[in-house]
Amino acid sequence: MTREEILNDLKDRFKDDIIDVFDKSPKRVYIEIKPDSIVRFAKYVFRDLGARFNIASGVDTRQHIEILYHFIIEEINLLISLRVKLPKSKLEIDSLAPTIEATNWIEREIHELLGVNFKGHPDLRRLLLPDEWPEGVYPLRCDYQEWDENAIRDRGV
Amino acid sequence: MSLKLKALLKSPWVFHLSTGSCNNCDIEILDCLTPRFDIERFGMLLAGSIKHADVLLITGSCNRQSVVRLKRLYEQIPKPCLVVAVGECALSRGLFIPSYNCPVPLDKIIPVDVYIPGCPPKPEAIIAGVVKLIEKVKAGK
Repeated sequence: MTREEILNDLKDRFKDDIIDVFDKSPKRVYIEIKPDSIVRFAKYVFRDLGARFNIASGVDTRQHIEILYHFIIEEINLLISLRVKLPKSKLEIDSLAPTIEATNWIEREIHELLGVNFKGHPDLRRLLLPDEWPEGVYPLRCDYQEWDENAIRDRGV
Repeated sequence: MSLKLKALLKSPWVFHLSTGSCNNCDIEILDCLTPRFDIERFGMLLAGSIKHADVLLITGSCNRQSVVRLKRLYEQIPKPCLVVAVGECALSRGLFIPSYNCPVPLDKIIPVDVYIPGCPPKPEAIIAGVVKLIEKVKAGK
């Protein structure tokens, strides 16, 4: 399928789930979707369109926490970023890890650094942070405060 | 100068430890070992095990996970030993000073004998630093 066919197909098939489509460049398109439909949408892009899961990224935009799942369709060199906005009051989303194994570790990382709860994840342990890191402190949030009293933050000169 | 230190200076074996660096300093250290710079003319060899080493050479900004390993390695190195910090991250953590993951600089964790600044330091700077370290120990300071 060509680029236009794929985009029209997605728009027809998921017209209730898509909030916004931002066509950034010939190689890149951002599709904002509802958080509830992420599993169905990602499954279709991954299984039926033959896309490769590249990476997911999480951003704290103060109003929301955004998760972007980047999929690449290599035959036509198109990078589809699925954007999901989660409200700060309810940081929950269905996990993609049972469907796409490659999302397992990046979801663990987003979970520990931004505090998003991935429902249905098989193994939501910490990935990078040390064991003594306190619960409920998420370092990549905008409102992160220094908690370690022994930390030295000057150069000593 | 004690006999132990004198014996150590003849051919110091170096253990190279990266505590979370970007690998640029590590590449420059490997450069020193190549024939172009040839740090082996000072008798220096890379040791595969910390228990064979005389010099602990550290790069990187000491993040929370690697500080535990660093302390464990420092306990295992035969004493007397020398500690060399290479690169801006190991010296003062560089731009990672406000990072949540790098709470304490290296020289507040273990005593450091020589600092080699640069981001990354050139092989010439590393050799100069090491030679200064040898001179310093020889002079008995």
